[in-house]
Amino acid sequence: MTPSRRRLLPYSSVLVAALAFARPAAALDLGDPESAPALEVHAFVSQGYAKSTDNDYLLHSSKGSFEMSEAGLNFTSQLTERFRVGIQLFAYDLGTLGNYAARADWFYLDYRLKDWLGVRAGRTKLPFGLYSDVSDIDAARTPILLPQSIYPQTNRYFLLGVTGGSVYGYVNLGRAGALDYRAVGGAIPVNPAQIGAPPELSSIDIPYMAAGRFMWETPVSGLRLGVSLLVLKLNETGVLSTTPGPTNVSLNDVVYSAIGSVEYAWHDLLIAAEYGQARSVLHDDQPALFPQGATVDAGGYGLVAYRLTKWLQPSVYYSFFAANRNLGDQAANMTTNDENIQDDVAGTLRFDVNNFWIVKVEGHYMHGTAALGAVPTAAPNWGLFLIKTTAYF
Amino acid sequence: MRATRALVLSAVLLSATLGGMSSRGADVRGGSGYRMIVNASNPVETVDRRFLTEAFFKKTTRWPNDLLIRPADQSTDSPARRAFSDDVLRRSVAAVKSYWQQMVFSGRGLPPPELDDDADVVKFVVRNPGAIGYVSPGANVAGAKPIGVR
Repeated sequence: MTPSRRRLLPYSSVLVAALAFARPAAALDLGDPESAPALEVHAFVSQGYAKSTDNDYLLHSSKGSFEMSEAGLNFTSQLTERFRVGIQLFAYDLGTLGNYAARADWFYLDYRLKDWLGVRAGRTKLPFGLYSDVSDIDAARTPILLPQSIYPQTNRYFLLGVTGGSVYGYVNLGRAGALDYRAVGGAIPVNPAQIGAPPELSSIDIPYMAAGRFMWETPVSGLRLGVSLLVLKLNETGVLSTTPGPTNVSLNDVVYSAIGSVEYAWHDLLIAAEYGQARSVLHDDQPALFPQGATVDAGGYGLVAYRLTKWLQPSVYYSFFAANRNLGDQAANMTTNDENIQDDVAGTLRFDVNNFWIVKVEGHYMHGTAALGAVPTAAPNWGLFLIKTTAYF
Repeated sequence: MRATRALVLSAVLLSATLGGMSSRGADVRGGSGYRMIVNASNPVETVDRRFLTEAFFKKTTRWPNDLLIRPADQSTDSPARRAFSDDVLRRSVAAVKSYWQQMVFSGRGLPPPELDDDADVVKFVVRNPGAIGYVSPGANVAGAKPIGVR
């Protein structure tokens, strides 16, 4: 038995115990005033397969890979009218990422003073863009892969949740609609081994970060516009193999990022578009190896999904990503532009077999290799095929 | 690429315009496929569609008298639920379920209880002072109070 398999065992035990002891929600649902707060239990399990025509993307896709698994289990209880607690355990495997290590995806104590003001402490999902806080949840969206220009899977471990506090609220603006806001602040503990970091990197630390999402729900039913802002400090240390001997490196990044969002949901139609930029300012003690200064990445997408029947929902999107837009003199060092960009045209068919089970198939045509990292031999034009099934309740 | 982006943005704006026109033109008073009920002690006589949407998505959680709103849904196959979702929420039942999956698995909220039938909804509303639910037009709502939707 591998270590990763052993880690799953306690996780399964928790699931069995939860199902055995969870109170039947119907007792509270029908308003029994004597009933204790109900414990709501929800879970999902996903398995996927990926095959690419060229290049390994996220996992060993060029040869076909099943290293695409996810499982989540959450418990939530509304202890009083205004006070709620919850926790979600989550484990996943995606190529070199995750490796089935179960962790607390989120946990919180939530007190909602008013509709327009609630406070929360614990580890909460990062509100950034329309879908960052649900990017783990296959059942809650149509595509298997959300547009990677805005929601990169490689960042999921350390940019989806933050440990600290948050404030949120829903402000009724009368005829002008409503403002749905959420702001978080805290730190992000990172384990380099679990994010697929290169072995030369010995530590990664995000000592502080702050983010906020402000969504204006317009008077037009189903149309919302938003902006998300984020700032974080990223410290990295490592040892590089150099001549004549190893070199210790300390890198300090400050990252500023912003996303503008539009979403329109009308009956069975969903249209979404987002554009974002991330500016990173690097300081380090080895400028000869890592030139200091600022770089800017930019990306965006447009997505359309429509539910044709109760069981079939197709979607298409176009996503574009440009790395290091402001390289300046360094641009001359880039071997080709294809390393600097990634265009992605994707189509998905989502089949809802029943209320608890979905199957998706998805195809991508990619141009460029920016999301692959520095792979000089990468093919600039390539395809990716995915199939994924998820059970949830 | 720029042309594709422009096309998507145009589609958003066009749909938004059409949606706004439809929203202004709709009148869900006495919706043909459902009837709204509240607890008999609730002084409310009518509610507007937007209030209902916010209440059933749990964005607004209090009645004007500060009582906790307790919405109740019916099962996804219920004709009353389909009519309510289409007329009031302006989303299909599947889209509403997707919304709640996002809320549940991101830790942001729990959906209203899904009750089996009209009788369970009436029972829920009768027992909870802040409750609100929808039932079939012909359902027996004895003990609960029907309200209008504007």
